[in-house]
Amino acid sequence: MVRLPYVTALTTLFSYGLLFAFGQMRDLFRKLIDWSKSKGKDLKGYAPICLGLEDFYTRRLYLRIQDCFSRPIASAPDAWIDVVERKSNDHNKTLHRTSNTTKCLNLGSYNYLGFAAADEYCTPLVIESLKKYSASTCSVRVDGGTTNLHTELEELVARFVGKPAAILFGMGYVTNSAIIPALMGKGGLIISDSLNHNSIVNGARGSGAAVRVFQHNSPSHLEEVLREQIAEGQPRTHRPWKKIIVIVEGIYSMEGELCNLPEIIAVCKKYKAYTYLDEAHSIGAVGKSGRGVCELLGVDTADVDIMMGTFTKSFGSCGGYIAASKEIIQYLKHTCPAHLYATSMSPPAVQQVISAIKVILGEDGSNRGAQKLARIRENSNFFRSELQKMGFEVLGDNDSPVMPIMLYNPAKIPAFSRECLRRNVAVVTVAFPATPLLLARARICISASHTREDLMKGLEVISKVGDLVGIKYFPVEPPKHVEQDKKTL
Amino acid sequence: MAKLYVQAVPPVDMNKNTEWFMYPGVWTTYILILFFSWLIFLSVLGCNPGTAWTIVNLVHFAITYHFFHWKKGTPFSDDQGIYNSLTWWEQIDNGKQLTRNRKFLTVVPVVLYLIASHTTDYRHPMLFLNTVAVIVLVIAKLPNMHKVRIFGINAGR
Repeated sequence: MVRLPYVTALTTLFSYGLLFAFGQMRDLFRKLIDWSKSKGKDLKGYAPICLGLEDFYTRRLYLRIQDCFSRPIASAPDAWIDVVERKSNDHNKTLHRTSNTTKCLNLGSYNYLGFAAADEYCTPLVIESLKKYSASTCSVRVDGGTTNLHTELEELVARFVGKPAAILFGMGYVTNSAIIPALMGKGGLIISDSLNHNSIVNGARGSGAAVRVFQHNSPSHLEEVLREQIAEGQPRTHRPWKKIIVIVEGIYSMEGELCNLPEIIAVCKKYKAYTYLDEAHSIGAVGKSGRGVCELLGVDTADVDIMMGTFTKSFGSCGGYIAASKEIIQYLKHTCPAHLYATSMSPPAVQQVISAIKVILGEDGSNRGAQKLARIRENSNFFRSELQKMGFEVLGDNDSPVMPIMLYNPAKIPAFSRECLRRNVAVVTVAFPATPLLLARARICISASHTREDLMKGLEVISKVGDLVGIKYFPVEPPKHVEQDKKTL
Repeated sequence: MAKLYVQAVPPVDMNKNTEWFMYPGVWTTYILILFFSWLIFLSVLGCNPGTAWTIVNLVHFAITYHFFHWKKGTPFSDDQGIYNSLTWWEQIDNGKQLTRNRKFLTVVPVVLYLIASHTTDYRHPMLFLNTVAVIVLVIAKLPNMHKVRIFGINAGR
């Protein structure tokens, strides 16, 4: 639940209206000028690639602040990162890379446990596996692409997550968008949270099943939608649905809040719907031993039918997995196109995940895993409470390493981003269409490799930039001093 | 002065072109924009208040007719063109008719018409133009006109 001052809502709507008006005027002038200029005759008869209206947002709003997005980096995304400087000669329409880099504090990478940079246990093993298995298997899983690393990782992931079996994929996005069509088809019903990630939306659209949306994190609305849909049945024939699946995420990456998992599972069990949990951001980062939201919220993993996760966030690798019962995994291995036709995960990446999971479980012989988990929890709670004391509007639950700071006004997005970069802090700002139109935010991701000094520097810079940009929407809590000689009148 | 805070509950609307209309503060912003544009016209043109209200009414007619009832589709390509044959008015509230937002948007041109015709004392050329504006806008917003294209105007692409 986001609270914003009323005046801010008014000014944000007005700013977007102004930007929209300017964009439309520029488009109008461009149409007039293009009409008078002679058009290229070699494209006569061809249909336009995109209708003039479709890329309005990209051309008139996104390109103006393009330098805040897609910044190239020149080092591993550790706690400190080298950001490449870019210049533009035509007001951000085109950007050119220079050869200068600036070392910035990295508050934007999903490096929750610090595995993104070289690690003393993982990196030697990864280099060894690179020499032994080479960088790519050059084959599909079913042909020649299953090495013993892959089978080892599948068993390890299943054991780590707490399910009987698992299957791996080379890309996290593809895991969602290729599995959901394999599980659901025409005549099925997918009920997904309104703030689900684009990969889930794409998978749901591609499956051919009917899709309904329930209000974010609200088990009561989910129950309402389920009752209505089960009673009505399929759209025109009113026959019963073939299967119903409810898709939720563990930590929502744009809000930083945890899912209301126990109640949602209770509702699904009551109405006999299947559940699909996407733990892309929560696996490895929350929970006492890093096993994700099920451990944190005390939900039995046997109650969730399909658990999905990615290796990009906490494990410093790439790829995704699905963990479920043996029958479902066997079925997926025979039908999912991402398993049958896509190249298998790169062996060094698999080895990185194996070593990272071993460190987290403590099976490498040290307690670095437990230390990392404790550190990320402390860092996140410290950072979040300090930001809230300064008067920022920070979303997200306690213990969640993702904290969005609300910006709202469209002009504050580039202002915040550029001012932070000038002070050597790299933050990620997110605007429409990844977030709702009015709720633009700067998303901070805390890592276990951030030291206390890094966090203090980050807080200092964000506070100064926050004052400059004007995003301290809540009253500042005064610092507690020891009260001496307080005279009572 | 205590700051007034509002809750922004994310609406369940999947169409990003229209979901911004469900947030708090939209109605107030609309009314404030109309009021401030009246003040601007009054100060720039130096005419009497009635003429300024007539100009606001006509400019409002042109802009809202173009953007609500003429332009079709959405300004971004993420939704793969599902709404390409629907105008903005047909897209809001997922096509449900007679919701609060629609009732508000239907009342605004009528109120503007009343203000404009009152302040011009119902004199002739302004009255005719104002009446044409309000009739076209209100008819375009009636629930029976949902997805209707008269004489095939604006039916293509």
